[in-house]
Amino acid sequence: MLIIGEKLSIIAKRVREAMMKKDKGPIQEIAISQWKAGAGMIDANIGPAEDGGEDLMQWMVTTIQAVVPLPVCLDTTNSSALEAGLKVHNSQWGKPLINSTSNDPERFPILELGAKYNAQVIGLTVGKGGLPADAEERAAIAAEIMARAMEYGVPLEDIYLDPLVLQIATSQDHARHVIKAIKMFQEMNDPPMKTVVGLSNISNGCPKTLRPILNRYYFMLLMLEGLTAAIADAHEMAEVTKTYDVMMGKTLYAHSYLEM
Amino acid sequence: MALSGVEIFKLLPKTNCKKCGHPTCLAFAMKLAQRQATLDACPDVSDEAKRVLGEASAPPVRPITFGSGDKAVKMGEETVLFRHEKKFVNPCAFAVEVKDTLSESEITKKIEDVLASEIDRVGQKLRIDAIAITNASGDKGKFEAAAKLVSSKAPNTPVILSTTDTAAAEAAIKLFSGKRPILYGANSSNADAMANIAKTEKAILGVTAHGLEDLSNLTEKIKALGVEDMVIDAGSVKAKDILGNNTLIRRAATKKNFKPLGYPVINFVQRDDTLLELLVAGIAVTKYSSVIVLSSIEKWKNLVLFTLRQNIYTDPQVPMQVEQKIYNIGEPKPESPLMITTNFSLTYFIVSGEVENSKVPSRLAVMDCEGLSVLTAWAAGKFTATKIAQFITESGIEKDISHKELIIPGYVAILSGSIEDKLEGWKVTVGPREANGLPAFLKARAA
Amino acid sequence: MAFVASKETYSGKVYQVNIGTGANAANLGGENVLPFHSFEGTVPNKPVIAYEIQDVPPTDWPENVQKPYSSVSGDPVAWAKFCQDNLKAKAIALRLLGTHPDRENRSPEVAAKTVKDVLSAINVPLIILGSNHAEKDAPVLVAAAEAAKDRNCIIGKAQEANYKTIVAAAMANNHKLIAMSELDINLSKQLNILITQMGFDKERLVTDPMCSALGYGLEYTYSVMERIRLAALTQNDLTMQPPMLADVGMYVWKIKEAQAPESEMPLWGNTEERGIAWEATTATALLVSGAELLIMRHPRAIEAVEKLIEELV
Repeated sequence: MLIIGEKLSIIAKRVREAMMKKDKGPIQEIAISQWKAGAGMIDANIGPAEDGGEDLMQWMVTTIQAVVPLPVCLDTTNSSALEAGLKVHNSQWGKPLINSTSNDPERFPILELGAKYNAQVIGLTVGKGGLPADAEERAAIAAEIMARAMEYGVPLEDIYLDPLVLQIATSQDHARHVIKAIKMFQEMNDPPMKTVVGLSNISNGCPKTLRPILNRYYFMLLMLEGLTAAIADAHEMAEVTKTYDVMMGKTLYAHSYLEM
Repeated sequence: MALSGVEIFKLLPKTNCKKCGHPTCLAFAMKLAQRQATLDACPDVSDEAKRVLGEASAPPVRPITFGSGDKAVKMGEETVLFRHEKKFVNPCAFAVEVKDTLSESEITKKIEDVLASEIDRVGQKLRIDAIAITNASGDKGKFEAAAKLVSSKAPNTPVILSTTDTAAAEAAIKLFSGKRPILYGANSSNADAMANIAKTEKAILGVTAHGLEDLSNLTEKIKALGVEDMVIDAGSVKAKDILGNNTLIRRAATKKNFKPLGYPVINFVQRDDTLLELLVAGIAVTKYSSVIVLSSIEKWKNLVLFTLRQNIYTDPQVPMQVEQKIYNIGEPKPESPLMITTNFSLTYFIVSGEVENSKVPSRLAVMDCEGLSVLTAWAAGKFTATKIAQFITESGIEKDISHKELIIPGYVAILSGSIEDKLEGWKVTVGPREANGLPAFLKARAA
Repeated sequence: MAFVASKETYSGKVYQVNIGTGANAANLGGENVLPFHSFEGTVPNKPVIAYEIQDVPPTDWPENVQKPYSSVSGDPVAWAKFCQDNLKAKAIALRLLGTHPDRENRSPEVAAKTVKDVLSAINVPLIILGSNHAEKDAPVLVAAAEAAKDRNCIIGKAQEANYKTIVAAAMANNHKLIAMSELDINLSKQLNILITQMGFDKERLVTDPMCSALGYGLEYTYSVMERIRLAALTQNDLTMQPPMLADVGMYVWKIKEAQAPESEMPLWGNTEERGIAWEATTATALLVSGAELLIMRHPRAIEAVEKLIEELV
């Protein structure tokens, strides 16, 4: 299970302020803490980043990789910021991951970046205007994205399909559609397609005390269907992945398994 | 039920040859399951698989095109009982009855009303879709004459010919050759002859019986006679029966894949009381009817029906959008506040409602963000400083107001500096995060 | 293939809520099937339509819906009697609009007197509504609930922001209660839970998922109501089993289609007929999606919907 440490997002006030002031301290502190908790990649979410997105993404990538030996997930809708970030990404610890392309024509060129910079790309299974109604519609969009990836020269092993997790508080039915989609996505290629979710969106808008509960149990269900990766808080998920591995016989049980 | 992607996959060659343009057979199967691809794209599929897929992929309610040309109406293809589950696919058609007992000038007037019924609503052209000529006279000649009048004055409008008299049907239907009319009136006593006419003329056959059991038997019989395209009527007249029978038909088709009732439904809702007729038609619109026959089509009534149909057939997954523009709430003066939000209709309804509650006359700039809510639109790069600045500049609002202050939703407070950079001379004020904070916010400013 | 009707048996049912007192008391809800699905279950009560009146003259209503009440609407007591005696109203909804701080800003005591006066003049059930000002509604509805003690009225609307005082007042004075949330099934359930956690009997609630007019978000209310009803029946969700209210008139008569003159909108046809049809059709759609109690304004719209209900049962 690949955890993509999610805490570096412009939506969080502390991170936003650090980004605005180019203050490396908080960014590196969070990156290190996610890495130590088990993250295998760090998400750098700079939002739409209209102004100075190129500089900001470069700064984020180099700031993070100066302290943690991990690849970065470049998370923005601004493709020139993505390109700038990819140029400085140090791939000795793994390929960067672009978040994301989709079935919206505006997002197609992102696949070009993937091919050009040998990056992995998240394929979000949504189109333009309107959400997929169920797992089947998500799978049909996935097929579309896969065909386009081949066309642009991005190998399918480098595509992570993202079924788009929605808020349980407003879109309850989608929770199970996403679970089913994770299973279907894998069946669409041999070797199975990789999958990823933005996990914490499940509990967006819910009371603070409920959020970790919803995130963790949902994560467990998705892992059971074979999820490859999750953009999530590594601290919150450490217990879950360790317990899952024990349950599934992937690691040997000991009373102190959680401390390992 | 239609086959799932995985079930379809089992019938494909499983060679992953990519000749269909998809990376794998399963990916292609997923597209087939959504009917976004057709089997011809696969050069290697077996005849056996074609046959099985052809049968199984037939949607639970048969797709039928009524009429021809630009005004043709698609019917059927429905898959669910409740609109929140998945979009209702093909909006129902409205038809007005023209009795053959009417005088030539009365019939002409009705035809003209149909032709003039088209209105534009939220970007769609809506109209009374069809004319139902009924053989109220019981006379073949009168029926044919009325049909002649309709075919000459409204040659492009889809037509329903309603008669149980096979001779009358035969005479009238010739006038609509190649135009895919509905021949309504096949029942247990005339089924063979009616089926024959429908088959020869390639018409859709309207089948009627008392109750669902008789109706099922009759459609099976007619299908065996070689007629594939039917619209069905269980003899429902009262609103209660329309609701009950239409529900049971839709359930049988979509839940049990019961083919004898897997056809679009036609309902006749004529009443002397035009307002009551409208409401019964409303029951038919909400409860699964595909063709609704009315006795009168006043303009106000059409507007109501078109709007209801549009509401019910909206895709629940596609956020409903309102038009991008600057809306006045109350009677704003040049100094009144200017706010901005996205064009997700629910956002708009709630924000404008709260502004109304505040009783502070205001302007609300509603920006096209593909119907996303504020935070989602921002994250998707659709509600950004550049786009907001461009919208405000291009709207020309500057000339109507005496200030240059824009109030933005609290959720995108982050944009305030950036908008100020891009909108020269403007001040950006951060409003409340939730709409229900607006009355207090606006009143405090006005005080 | 022989046809077998696919009938559903549901695990839940809608609570039957009794309102008013004496011979003219009425029952809401009580069915164990989806709206008007009498072919597969029992539907003991017809939906009830309440005539909307208010404590101040309806100058904010469009001309066409003021007209039928022009001789009585200056006085809420006369207005209520007119609805009951002349129009044969089965219930009346009194909106205390005059208490709104931006209107006459009447005190809770004045509102309470109006409630008392109206109640002494009628014998059909009364629904008592605030002015939809969350803060002011709390003291107003407390005073109104006391004034109406033991007349088994419906008090409303309790919302997330003010439900505590209103719930307490309804409980202390033996009334039923409207719980309103804004077009969100999950928040609607949450509010019902919060209210019952205060000790209020869930079988005395009426849920208002918020109305919207035809063409103005009707499909949202429609689907929220359908989903609430499905949760009540198929999941036996006890918190979603109260009858539902559609507050139709207020939402319909403020929109453009209900009032734009034909001279301005020639393609829209006769203004008066259009407004009436708009109100009646909005009501119809919400009846089939699950409303058992409607609040409406135009007598002809109400008459037409009542005729339709007769055809539906």
